[in-house]
Amino acid sequence: MEQMITLTTYGLRTRPALAGALLAATCLVPAAYAQQARDGTVSKAEVSSGSLLLQSSTPGRYIEAPLVAADVKMDIAGPIIRTKLTQRFTNPTQQWVEGVYAFPLPEGAAVDRLKIIIGDRFIEGDIKERQQARVLYEQAAASGQRAGLVEEERPNLFTASMANIGPGETVAIQIEFQDKARLDNGVWSTRFPLVIAPRYSPKPTFGLTADRTGRALSVTDPVPDRDRITPPVLHPAHEPGGVEGLRLPVNFDISLKAGVPIADISSQTHGLVVERTDENTAQIHLKDGEVPADRDFVLSWTPQPATAPTASIFREQHNGEDYLLAVVNPPAIKTTAQRRDRETIFVIDNSGSMSGDSMDQAKRGLLLALDRLAPTDEFNIIRFDDTMELVFQTAAPANAQNLARARRFVSNLEANGGTEMLPALQAALVDNDRKNTEEVRQVVFITDGAIGNEDQLFAAIHDGLGRSRLFTVGIGSAPNAYFMANAARQGRGAFTFMDDVTKVAEQSAKLFAALENPVMTDLEVKLPAGTADAYPAPLPDLYAGEPVSMVMRAKDVTGDLTFSGKLNGKSWTMTLPVSEAAQSSGVAQLWARAKIANFEESRYSGMTMEQVDAGVLKTALDFHLVSRLTSLVAVDKTPARPAGEKLDTRQIASMLPKGWDFGAVFGPAAETRALRFDQLPDGVMQKIHARATQEKPKAEQDLALPGTASGWEMMLAFGLSLFVFGAALLRRGRSAIGLRGQALPASVGSMRATSACNRVS
Amino acid sequence: MSDWFMRTEAYVATTVQPESARATRVRPAKPFSLSPRSLSALACLIAGALIAAQALYIPAKAQVAQVLMSSAWEHQLSTGDPARPWPWADFTPAAKLRFPSQHQSVLALTDAAGESLAFGPTLMAASVSPGARGVAVFAAHRDTHFAFLKDVKLGDEIAVDLPEGSRRFRVTGSQVVRWDASGIQTHDGGAPRIALVTCWPLDARTPGPMRYVLWAELILEPLSASTPSQV
Repeated sequence: MEQMITLTTYGLRTRPALAGALLAATCLVPAAYAQQARDGTVSKAEVSSGSLLLQSSTPGRYIEAPLVAADVKMDIAGPIIRTKLTQRFTNPTQQWVEGVYAFPLPEGAAVDRLKIIIGDRFIEGDIKERQQARVLYEQAAASGQRAGLVEEERPNLFTASMANIGPGETVAIQIEFQDKARLDNGVWSTRFPLVIAPRYSPKPTFGLTADRTGRALSVTDPVPDRDRITPPVLHPAHEPGGVEGLRLPVNFDISLKAGVPIADISSQTHGLVVERTDENTAQIHLKDGEVPADRDFVLSWTPQPATAPTASIFREQHNGEDYLLAVVNPPAIKTTAQRRDRETIFVIDNSGSMSGDSMDQAKRGLLLALDRLAPTDEFNIIRFDDTMELVFQTAAPANAQNLARARRFVSNLEANGGTEMLPALQAALVDNDRKNTEEVRQVVFITDGAIGNEDQLFAAIHDGLGRSRLFTVGIGSAPNAYFMANAARQGRGAFTFMDDVTKVAEQSAKLFAALENPVMTDLEVKLPAGTADAYPAPLPDLYAGEPVSMVMRAKDVTGDLTFSGKLNGKSWTMTLPVSEAAQSSGVAQLWARAKIANFEESRYSGMTMEQVDAGVLKTALDFHLVSRLTSLVAVDKTPARPAGEKLDTRQIASMLPKGWDFGAVFGPAAETRALRFDQLPDGVMQKIHARATQEKPKAEQDLALPGTASGWEMMLAFGLSLFVFGAALLRRGRSAIGLRGQALPASVGSMRATSACNRVS
Repeated sequence: MSDWFMRTEAYVATTVQPESARATRVRPAKPFSLSPRSLSALACLIAGALIAAQALYIPAKAQVAQVLMSSAWEHQLSTGDPARPWPWADFTPAAKLRFPSQHQSVLALTDAAGESLAFGPTLMAASVSPGARGVAVFAAHRDTHFAFLKDVKLGDEIAVDLPEGSRRFRVTGSQVVRWDASGIQTHDGGAPRIALVTCWPLDARTPGPMRYVLWAELILEPLSASTPSQV
């Protein structure tokens, strides 16, 4: 003690500045007791008002939530929709951040424009090959320039990245895309998804294809990009609300120009405020203003019956060529033919993602469908999660006893576990009577489509379809519409959505219409002279209430477009003169998008992947479209982030879709249930080991434990030592004051201090 | 030593005496010349006292809060309505944890967003209700409310009194985990368990990443309808 004080006082006198600094530093140590924000958390006192805080794992500490506010501006002109989606990234933190946001779009969206908006400036994006765009973006991000990047993960799933958003700044990414409305039983509608439902991706070891030899086991990953399609999901309990506002608010501004008098405008998902400007047009907003990004938005409009056209044609000139869009509503032909016997296989998804409202909807829909079976029909039910089960060994007659057993089975279903869809799909497509064309074989697939291995499933449908027809029923508040539409197309069936538990009967009517009415046959289209490249090719099967919608490219086009087909032996023809086509922008993009989709699906029918890639890439670059192989990238020339400041990447968590049960999706694996593959009618899948180990989507991990040391003992010890030291110093100081002015030789300074110290002690 | 001392003293005495006297004369006019040294000393004194007081405030607050909470708890037991221990508290008592072998009892509180750990063990928000399937996690400071956790042994009984009745748990084991890799999944649907969590090592003085988790499993018995007894 004696030595220490001696040294300190000596130091104090000779280098007061240094010593003062040391002392100040010592006094600042208590600040160390306040929790440091090293983990990126803050306390309520540390943030300005207006930021959104999420409870972190440490009590009293919060994570500042980056905000992404979306403005959707839709211009609907007839069947053509132009949408401008502006995502404003707000950075509430004190660091420079990169925001990464995975978001959904309608599955047919042709994204052709990107802008980043900084204050009142904007920078236009350019289309590049995916890898090249990524490199440009990364370089810009590293050198401090603001940059935006939009990449396609699935036709209905995109990722926006925005680099170098300054502390407290808001920067916007604006994308524009072309889409078309859907016509169904005389009602136009558009479905705008707002949330990516958490998806299940089978493990790489399940990359098996039930080969015809029954032994093909491949070890490829069915979902190589699983990380990119499963953004983290915030637990709904942590989602801010009320006065704090929404974390991911969405706002709609829709201008509808139907081209014909509108009888009704409605939304089954959200409350609307409709301002009718005249009988053909309307301005539409949401009643709630801003809504959370937790479910699809569906807008429907019905033309007045008398004026509803049966066909319309649109035309756009683009780079010296003509692009045409034709929508034809076949006449409703009364069918008098006898009902054909059918074999119907119902496949119902009871995985964890279906938990809650979705399971109720699916069960009710299925029970209604069972009621409509005739005693001469045959049927079976397959349920799957990460296991699967068949009610009957093979399709059984729909007699009272079998139906009762099936109803019991359906009523007892509970949603749990992963989503191993492939084995169930393959089991449903196993057909013991492939040659029997007298009987109709239908597979009804009831699911939310929350899976990542779409390609694998499409290939399985294409390969195993035979005489079966696949009908998908999209369940829940955020179904995977890309899966529903494309599986139905590959399966030559139709797709419907069932997303309102109170309207199951009404919504399933569409499905029953498609299942029970004969399909249009001999559907043909005669293109006028000069046209080529008409899509979709081949034309899809046409079910009751469905229109034909077609895009084509033409040069110096003249003449008529003629559609013809047969329904129950009666034929119909419809002729559209090209000269009557209405000018409309966006048709060229729709054509290019259809061409890309055509390339993508031709991989199932023998085209090599190289050919597919080359076709997709060329079309996407020519038409400035985002695709699997091309991205839009925008880079600001002038650096914004000062050198030396770090860039922190924040992935924006998705919301949990409305009606979902967090625990059922992300919770631990369900009790292992026995698999009964040996009951399959055909030995094909006996080798399959689909007892799934859960590959859970990314979610909150184990419970994080709070800091549980108040550290008061340490703090007390420190405080007391500081006090004692201060006291000692003061005593010393007084003595020193007493010595002031003494003209001593500098060489004895230390001696003097030592002596004084001794006196003190 | 004493020689040296004497000589130095003598040196100081002989040489310094007159100057010292002059300084003493000056001092009344300017009692504390604000030299950096004395300033620093004063700063140390004040800071030291403040820190010590703040430190002592922590265990004091912890004790006083428990007293205030026990009356809120009594109120809740008699009326059935959750009561706040003081008007601006953002939590209510959640359960009483009793450790008969250690003769300890402590009132746990609901997980408020703020600093509730300062006032008592906190039933973490992600927990299941104690006695329900899954895990109920109570966390508390190792140097205040859970200081006695080191004495709890395998097989000891822990009673958790809830407003609707008392449940007894038996200690089945303990483990040391990292705070961010606890392995605790509260809604795992398993047997009803409680996990008491505090900082590890139990006698350390500085914060660290490790946590001590004491596990106890529900002793199966019909739910007691009587009001919880006092320890």
